[in-house]
Amino acid sequence: MGNVRLENLTKRYEDTTAVDGVDLEIEDGEFVTLVGPSGCGKSTTLEMIAGLTIPSDGTVSIASRDVTTLPPKDRGIAMVFQNIALFPHMDVDDNVSFGLRLRDFDDDEIDRRVEEALEIVQMDGMGDRMPDELSGGQRQRIAIARAIVREPEVFLMDEPLANLDAALRVHMRTELQRLHRELATTIVYVTHDQEEAMTMSNRLAVMNGGQVQQFADPMTCYAEPDNEFVAGFIGSPSMNFFEGAVTAEGVETAYFDVPFDPDEVGVERAREVTLGIRPEDVARSDSTENLTDPTEPVEATVDVVEPVGDEVFVYLLLDDQGGRDASEGELLMSAPPGPALTDDVEGERFRIRMDRARVHLFDADTGDAIVHGIAEGPSHEAGAREVESD
Amino acid sequence: MATDASGPYERWVEGAIRNPQKVYRAMFVVAAIFFLVTTLFPLYWLVVLALTPQEAISNVGLLPNGFNPGAFVTVFQTVPFHWYVFNSFVLGLLTTVVVLFLASLAGYVFGRLEFPGRTPLMLLLLAVSYFPPAAFLLPLFRLFTANVTFLTLPGGNAVTSPMLFNTPGALVLPYSALFLPLSIFILTTFYGQIPDGLEKAARVEGTTRLGALFRVIMPLSAPGVATAGVLTFIAVYNEFFFGYLMTDGQAQHWAPVVWGILHFQGQYGSLYNLMAAASIIGVLPVAIIVVVAQEKIVSGLTAGALKE
Repeated sequence: MGNVRLENLTKRYEDTTAVDGVDLEIEDGEFVTLVGPSGCGKSTTLEMIAGLTIPSDGTVSIASRDVTTLPPKDRGIAMVFQNIALFPHMDVDDNVSFGLRLRDFDDDEIDRRVEEALEIVQMDGMGDRMPDELSGGQRQRIAIARAIVREPEVFLMDEPLANLDAALRVHMRTELQRLHRELATTIVYVTHDQEEAMTMSNRLAVMNGGQVQQFADPMTCYAEPDNEFVAGFIGSPSMNFFEGAVTAEGVETAYFDVPFDPDEVGVERAREVTLGIRPEDVARSDSTENLTDPTEPVEATVDVVEPVGDEVFVYLLLDDQGGRDASEGELLMSAPPGPALTDDVEGERFRIRMDRARVHLFDADTGDAIVHGIAEGPSHEAGAREVESD
Repeated sequence: MATDASGPYERWVEGAIRNPQKVYRAMFVVAAIFFLVTTLFPLYWLVVLALTPQEAISNVGLLPNGFNPGAFVTVFQTVPFHWYVFNSFVLGLLTTVVVLFLASLAGYVFGRLEFPGRTPLMLLLLAVSYFPPAAFLLPLFRLFTANVTFLTLPGGNAVTSPMLFNTPGALVLPYSALFLPLSIFILTTFYGQIPDGLEKAARVEGTTRLGALFRVIMPLSAPGVATAGVLTFIAVYNEFFFGYLMTDGQAQHWAPVVWGILHFQGQYGSLYNLMAAASIIGVLPVAIIVVVAQEKIVSGLTAGALKE
């Protein structure tokens, strides 16, 4: 079965560590995305799974078989590359059948499989075209056909959609999901696009600094990020963060307070924390129907209003209460569009509330999540989802 | 300044000052004519000599003293000249194959891999390629004539170097070594430009690194491989120094084309018209290759950068 297991996978270069002790267990048939900013080690990790890069440390197992020292061709994998990488001197048929011909399949079998693969990617009848006669999307389909024709245990995809234009990218995204459903083969997918990662995968491995920050399904990564990095990386627009401290009355930041009883929520007092709140969990104080547990209103000045169609991004400047640099008090609110939210309100004063049930607290030093959602006592419906400490 | 009294030269100079392009064009024409005369006139002179009958060979002017195209046939009757041409061809092809294979491996390593000492090694290669071939001759001659003893066995028998004199080995080995650096440089550049993704794709699809080199990188570098191959072949075909010294000059002993030409030079006289005819015949194959291959190479180069 096409499961993939990485144990303490590490890649060190002379002066840097690109991948730092990655442990992952990918189930058979799962669509897992390695996602993170550029330079986070996701592509290096994929190349180590493929065998194109030799790990400095750790092991790679594919289909319950240790393949750490095997060359790429013997690992039962197929790969789709960002730059598509069709062989320019071969026509479509030869490109797709390249791997089969190297493995000495007989001609009838090759023809049958190539035809089948081209049908799956809806490119049948294009067998004698050369790659430079195809459009970008067609080339990407051929690259996928070349990968599926060998019926590998695992597909590896390294930003396969990055070079396509926006419309085609969204289209190919659904195509890939359909393909995954049809083939039910394990896919390990690499992207820096968190939206792509969220929409396509069963599970995300959010990476930063060569380490896996969180390995969970997309909604968990979104709603209960393990640390500040995941919270900021997943979700668009990004989460708002404020530095603050836990006192006997709750969390105090330079701009507002979120009162609660630290003992009941389970947070130590006198602790430096970072408070995180997503733009969609902020609302004007007169339209809080989407908030489960609104906080006391806070005054803010509207800086910029950005309508994007189905929602409006409102950049607010919170009143400085702590005498710090004013630019730090920026809060992004995402609200449903309405006649009250146009460019005209820029400069006006808003009263806003946040959803206490959706406030995240992170350790100010380590960035680790302390609590997701603040709720005191058992009477609250939105129970605080306390983070298990290791 | 321009007065009616100025002559044509002065007017030309004045025009040239106003329009420097005119001077560049004139300089180009002069240089081109110089180049054409120095390269083509010797060839023309060979034709004149070849067509002049043997008895009228003194005081030859710009036109042949008579007309004797039969010399081009006599060449093959006096000496088995076609065998010498054949020998040079085989030596050229063998060397080209060896050089392309070895230079491909080296070009792959230098062009596509990062490793400590790459630049120093490349410079060393460059330095070695500038050594005068004559410096290698004496040791190589001793080596190829079984005069170097590697070790003496207990029974008194000695293990010596092989006797390669008068075989293709005595020529192909030094030729390959001599012309290898140039091909390595050419192929390093070409192989270095093939996108990484293509090699990775080939390796994932089922080739080894070497397989990717010969199935993907080399075919995609066809213009570079052709250039390296043609240059090597021509260099070997034209080579004289080793070709003269590593054989005894017999056609059946792999003597190259230059030996064939020298055979028209006897102890008591030189058949200059036949030497000229043989030279022309000897040059023809290379000239044809250059014309044909050049078109291919140029078209390959202008096909533009590789798209993945």
